[in-house]
Amino acid sequence: MKKVVTLRINGESYALHLRPSQTLLDVLRDDLELMGTKKGCDSGVCGACTVIMDGEPVLSCMTLAVRCQGKDILTIEGLAENGKLHPLQKSAIEHGAVQCGFCTSEWLLSAKVLLENNPSPTPEEVQTAVSGNLCRCTGYEKIVDSILAVAEGKVH
Amino acid sequence: MKLPPFEYVAPKSVTKACELLRKKKNRAIPIAGGTDLLMALKNRLKTPALLVDLHNLPRSLYRIAYSPKRGLILGGRVSLRQAANHTAVRDKYPMLVQALLSVGSPQIQVMGTLGGNLCQDNLCVYYNRSPMLRQTLEPCHKLGGKICHAVRGSKTCWATYCGDVAPALLALQAKIKIVGPNSEKVIPLQRFYSADGKKPNVLKPGDILTEIQVPPPRPRSGGAYLKLRIRKAIDYPLLGVGLSLSLRNGEAICEEANLALTGVERAPLLIQEAETLQGKRLEDKIVEGLAEAAYRRAHPVNTVCELTPKYRKDMVRVYVMEAVHLAIQQASKGGVL
Repeated sequence: MKKVVTLRINGESYALHLRPSQTLLDVLRDDLELMGTKKGCDSGVCGACTVIMDGEPVLSCMTLAVRCQGKDILTIEGLAENGKLHPLQKSAIEHGAVQCGFCTSEWLLSAKVLLENNPSPTPEEVQTAVSGNLCRCTGYEKIVDSILAVAEGKVH
Repeated sequence: MKLPPFEYVAPKSVTKACELLRKKKNRAIPIAGGTDLLMALKNRLKTPALLVDLHNLPRSLYRIAYSPKRGLILGGRVSLRQAANHTAVRDKYPMLVQALLSVGSPQIQVMGTLGGNLCQDNLCVYYNRSPMLRQTLEPCHKLGGKICHAVRGSKTCWATYCGDVAPALLALQAKIKIVGPNSEKVIPLQRFYSADGKKPNVLKPGDILTEIQVPPPRPRSGGAYLKLRIRKAIDYPLLGVGLSLSLRNGEAICEEANLALTGVERAPLLIQEAETLQGKRLEDKIVEGLAEAAYRRAHPVNTVCELTPKYRKDMVRVYVMEAVHLAIQQASKGGVL
């Protein structure tokens, strides 16, 4: 039986009729056409589906959408504000931390949570924070550099 | 992978949740963090008619409380990350924090709960693979068949227990509270595990693990949780060693020691031989004896395609010795207090 669930995504509220078996990832991509959140392994391993829920990074492929009533969800589409890129996005471009781009939107969100909780992380803490986001291009060096540059105030 | 259809309910009381789970028997499954369960649903290993969501249960299930007298109380719905971030847990149980932060990835730690982690299903080289791969082979014991793909010729299921938190809590002598439709009991954690690959724990339909109780640390105690795996993130333990010990005041004599392993049997293993360390000076020979006892108890099988079972068994000795040395270091610096 479908349930009416109100999802708050990137500051907007959406009232949706959802089957209990729909994952948040499928709702984001199929129902709301927010394609920035990627479907990689669909089994909780690769981290490509990461979104921020109530300030914490979670895997949308392993989250039932009906459980998200009242939660504050941020996807990559909500990271830039008023058309202005987030410093992490700018830094990713400046450092060439994007290769195929599949994992980019998700490690940016993991990095955002890290810097909110720990504004001056060590390289190891940055590595741990993005350890749940697999980069199939293995471009980790530049990913870590680009996050550290924001923490060090080199990119605004 | 689409999830199979199911009904969904999120009761507000433990009693109601227990009743719903008991009424539908095996057709209803509780969902906490969902990270273990959703994979089983996607792979059609489980096809419940009803999911009973535990996230609306009372605040007591989200409680973290510490007192020097009673020790630590952790609600079953506390996330791994919440527990690992809590000041008292960090100060008094650093070994538990090591285990919590070794689970999966940061996202899994945020989503996964303590209760769910302790109840996670056993894994094997066949059972947890995709439905497509499973179709190419005969069903195993765990899927109602008559063979075991992990241990050829075995008449029983050899799916391995691969949780990280249980060995740490076993070494800390934790107890758990299980609430059923008409009952409530507190049992030592080791009695929770059945060593049956098909059904790894003793929960009955209608039972919910609501609380974990950890005794206060002894003076001059130390510990370590060491995990063998290929990648430092995401992987399950190919071997996990949880060790806790305390030293007699001013001497290198063991007051108490507890050791538990994971990833190498159908249940997390509490190594009883650790008790024999009591009152002994922790010289190399004594520690080697404990490592040898742990080695003998471990039975790693092909849970994954990485690292041979023989290598993993050999590493039991190495990891136990290393864990004891780290624990002694911590304890002799004054311990966790």
